[in-house]
Amino acid sequence: MKNLMKILFLIIVAIFVAGCLESKKTPQVSEPINLVKMSGQEMIQRLGTGEIAGFIMWEPYPAIAVTKGYGKNLIFSGKIWTDHPCCVVAYDDDWYKKTNNSDEILKRMALVQLKSVEYINNAKQSDSPDHEQLINYTMQFGGMTDQVAANLSLADVEFVYNTNVTATTTFIQRIQDFGIFDMTKWNMSGYKNSSDYANSLVTNNYVEWAVNNKDENSSKIALKEPVNIRYAYLVNDIHELPFYVGWQKGYYRDLGINIVIAEGAPFQNGAFEMQQGFKGNTVDVGSLGIPPVIIHRINSNDFSNNDTKVGVIAGMNNEGSVIVVANNVTSMKDLQGKTVGFPGQGTIQHVLFLMEADKEGLKVSY
Amino acid sequence: MGRLVLSSVSKKFNNFQALLDVNFEVEDGEFVCLLGPSGCGKTTVLRLVAGLVAPDDGIISLDGKKINGVNKECGFVFQEYALFPWRTVKENIEFGPQVKGMTKTECESISKHYIDLVGLSGFENHYPNELSGGMKQRVGIARAYANNPKLLLMDEPFGALDAQTRNLMQGELLRIWETEHISVLFVTHSVDEAVYLGDRVVVMSARPGKVKDIFDVKLTRPRIRTGPEANIIRDSVLKSLSTQIKLASHEYI
Amino acid sequence: MKFETGKRGLLINILSLIVFTLVWQILVILARNDIFNIPFIRLRDIPTPVETWYALVGSMFTRIYGPSFTYGIINHVYASLVRVIEGGIIAFIIGVPVGIGVGYSKFLGNLFNPIIEIIRNMPPMAWIPLSIFIFVSGGSIFIVFIGVVFPIILNTIQGVRSTDTRLIDAAKTLGASESMIVKKVVIPSALPSIMTGLRIGLGVGWMAIVAAEMVIKSPVGLGYFIWNMGDLGRYSEMVAGMIVIGVIGYIMNISILLLQRRFINWVD
Ligand SMILES: Nc1ncnc2c1ncn2[C@@H]1O[C@H](COP(=O)(O)OP(=O)(O)OP(=O)(O)O)[C@@H](O)[C@H]1O
Ligand SMILES: [Mg+2]
Repeated sequence: MKNLMKILFLIIVAIFVAGCLESKKTPQVSEPINLVKMSGQEMIQRLGTGEIAGFIMWEPYPAIAVTKGYGKNLIFSGKIWTDHPCCVVAYDDDWYKKTNNSDEILKRMALVQLKSVEYINNAKQSDSPDHEQLINYTMQFGGMTDQVAANLSLADVEFVYNTNVTATTTFIQRIQDFGIFDMTKWNMSGYKNSSDYANSLVTNNYVEWAVNNKDENSSKIALKEPVNIRYAYLVNDIHELPFYVGWQKGYYRDLGINIVIAEGAPFQNGAFEMQQGFKGNTVDVGSLGIPPVIIHRINSNDFSNNDTKVGVIAGMNNEGSVIVVANNVTSMKDLQGKTVGFPGQGTIQHVLFLMEADKEGLKVSY
Repeated sequence: MGRLVLSSVSKKFNNFQALLDVNFEVEDGEFVCLLGPSGCGKTTVLRLVAGLVAPDDGIISLDGKKINGVNKECGFVFQEYALFPWRTVKENIEFGPQVKGMTKTECESISKHYIDLVGLSGFENHYPNELSGGMKQRVGIARAYANNPKLLLMDEPFGALDAQTRNLMQGELLRIWETEHISVLFVTHSVDEAVYLGDRVVVMSARPGKVKDIFDVKLTRPRIRTGPEANIIRDSVLKSLSTQIKLASHEYI
Repeated sequence: MKFETGKRGLLINILSLIVFTLVWQILVILARNDIFNIPFIRLRDIPTPVETWYALVGSMFTRIYGPSFTYGIINHVYASLVRVIEGGIIAFIIGVPVGIGVGYSKFLGNLFNPIIEIIRNMPPMAWIPLSIFIFVSGGSIFIVFIGVVFPIILNTIQGVRSTDTRLIDAAKTLGASESMIVKKVVIPSALPSIMTGLRIGLGVGWMAIVAAEMVIKSPVGLGYFIWNMGDLGRYSEMVAGMIVIGVIGYIMNISILLLQRRFINWVD
C-alpha cells in the first residue's frame, strides 16, 4: 500500500513536470492568438475594459461594441470568404420520417423563408415604407435598445433563402482540416468525402418549389390541415431575423403552419440546439449556424439510429459576422499573443477565424 | 535556596471554596509530600505555587519573594507527563533553555547532562509516543530540572505507573534529588510513597481544603520501606488521613 | 472505517476498478444494441471505457491542425493544478493566521466568528458570477481560494482550541512568553488539524476550479476542456477529461495524506 502511494505520488510529480515543460514549450513555437469562449455581452464588456484585444461574433454584438466606441471592425466575414453561408433552416430527420406530409410542410417553410427575406431586403432601404417596422423587429429580436446599432447590424448581414451545396462542401472540408470531427464517428458515417456529405445534408428541392410558387395566393397553396411545428432558434441572433419576420407577419400561419416555440428555445448556441433539441427530438424544424449542423450530425450522432440526423432546406443569411478589435489593433498579426473572444468551439465564428488566421499564416490556440 | 512559604492561602472557584487558610512551608532543600483525599485541592496548591492561578487571599512566597504571575523558578512535573508530543526527548528537555534564549550548544550540554542523569541515553531522538510511561516521566523530570528551578513541584508523578516501575522511579527520584538538591513539593495519593520519600508529610482535609496535620519523617536514607519506624509513622498518617477520607466520603452518602 | 491493507487490500482495489470498468462497458453495449436501457438516460451515448481510453491517449498532448493548436490534456491539467496550487497557497497564508488568531484569542474569535460563519456558508460556485465581474484576471484562482480557505480556517481554529491546556501550563512554567506559547505549543499542536484542513480544502478547491473554468473563461483548464468537448459533441474526450479530474483529485488527497504521515509522525 505504501509503495502504491509512492508510485501515485511520483505520477503526480511526473505529470506536473511534464506539464511545466509542455506548457513552456508550446507557446514558443510561435505566438498563437488565444481564443477564449465567452458570451456576446462579455465580449463587449471585456473589450471595453481592455481585457481582450478583440472578438469574433455575430451581429448585433459587433455593432453594439462599435457604437459604444469600445473598438472597431477589423474584418467583415464577407472579406474572409465572400458570400459564405451562415445560418440555415434545418429539419429533424426523425420528425421527417414519421410525418406523412413532411415534404409539403417543408416546401411551405422554404416559401416563408423566401417571402421574409424579400420583405427584409426591401425594407432594409431607408426610404422603404416598411423600414421602421423592420428596425422594430430587429431591435425586438436582437434584444437591442439602440436604433443606430440596429441599423448597423442590419447592414452587415446579407439575408438569403437559397442553399449552397458548393459552399457547404468547402465548410465541411475546412472543419475536417481543422481537426474538429471525431474521426471514429466520421468513419462510421460512411461519407466518402466532403461533397458526398454536403449532398446528403443539403436539399434544394424545397427552395425550388418556393421560387416556382412565390406568386401564388397563400390561401390557395396553404396546407389543408394546419400543423404544429416545434421551432427552435438562437437567442438574439439577428441572422435569424427572417424567421422572426415570418412569424410576426403571419407568413407561417397563412400557409397553415402553426409555430410552437420548442422546449429549450431560444438556445444559447447551435451546439445546444443540436444536442438537446434535434437529438432529443424536441425540435422539428429550427434555425442555427451551418457549422453546428455539420459537426453534430457527425460527432453527436448515434449512427445506430441516426438520432442527430438533420437536413438543411433553406438559407437564412450569408456573412454577418465581424472581427472587432481594440482601437489600437490594425491587423490580425497584432493579435498574436493576445486574447480574442469567440462564441465557442465549432461555431461559424470559430471556423471563420481559423480560416482568416490560416490565410495569414498565424496560429490560434484554444 | 528555595524556601517556600504559604500563609493563610485561600482559593475559591466560582462559589466553591477549594482552599481555606492553608499554611505550611517547604524549607530549602527539603522534600515535602502533600497527601489528601481526592479533590481536597492538592493540585490547586501546586498551581498556586507555580503562579498558574492566583490566590484570593494570603501570600505565597519563594525565598521571601511574593509569587505574582507565572513563577519561573519552579519546575512542574505533571501527572500525565504533559510532554510536547512533536518534540523528541532531547527537544522536550531543551524547551526551557530554548525559550530562555540560550545558545544551541548551551541547550545541548544541558540536555545531555539531564538525559544522562535520568538514564535516557540512547533515547534522545525518540518521540514521546515511542516511550513507556516510566521513561516519559523521566523526561518530565529532566525537563523540569533543565530549567534549573529552586523548587520542584510534582503532581502525582508516578500515579499512572505499575508498582514495580513506581518503586524504581522513587529510588531514581531520590538519587537525582540528592545530586541536585533542590526543594521538592510532591503530591501523592499514597501514604507509602509519602513516608518513603518525604522529610515531612503534609496531610490535607477536604471541603474546604485545609492543612490538617504535618508529620516529620526523621528517618535516614536509604530508608527501608517496611522498617518499624516507618510503620509507626505510616500508621499515624493513615489514621489522620482515614478520618479525612471518611469525612469526605460521608458527605457524598 | 476499516480497510484491508497490504497485498490483499490492493488486490481488492484493483479488482473493483476492473469490475466497474466492465460493468460500464457492458451497460453501454447492451444499450447500444437495444437489449437493456435505463429510462430517461441516453445510455447509448456514453462512450465506452475503450473509446474513452483512446480519446485520452489521443488528446494527451497538443495537436496542431493547420492554423489551430488544440491544447493537450496535459496542458489543461497543468493549468488547473497551477490555479489550485496558487489559490491554495494564498488560502494557506491567509487561513492559518486567521485560524490561529480566532482560535486563540477570545476577542478575535467574537469579532470574526459571525463573518466567517456567514461567508463560509456561501459555496465557492456562488461566487462565480461575482468574480466574473470584479476580477480582471485570476477570478478562477479566487474561486479556489474561497474553496480552500474555509476548511483551513475552521480546522485551524479547531486545532488551536483543542490544544492540551496542560501543555500550555507546562510551557508557562518553563518560562515561555505568550508569543512563544503560540509559536512553540499552539501551532505545532494544531498542525495535524491544519494539514487536514488543507487536504479537505484542496479537495473542495479542485472541484471548484473545474466549475469555475466552465464559466470564467481561459484558454486552458480541465473544466474548460470538458465543456468544449461537450460543445463539439466529442463525448469520449469529455469523459476522459472527467476521469482525469477524478484521478488527479484522488492523487492530490493521497499525496497530502502521505506528506502528513511522513512529517507528522508524532501523532499516536
Ligand atoms: N479551574 C477550576 N475551576 C473550578 N473548579 C476547580 C478548578 N480547579 C479545581 N477545581 C475544584 O477544586 C477542587 C480541588 O481540585 P484539585 O484538582 O486541586 O484536587 P486534588 O486534590 O488535586 O484532587 P485529585 O487527588 O483528584 O487530583 C476540586 O473539587 C475541583 O473540582
Ligand atoms: Mg490533583
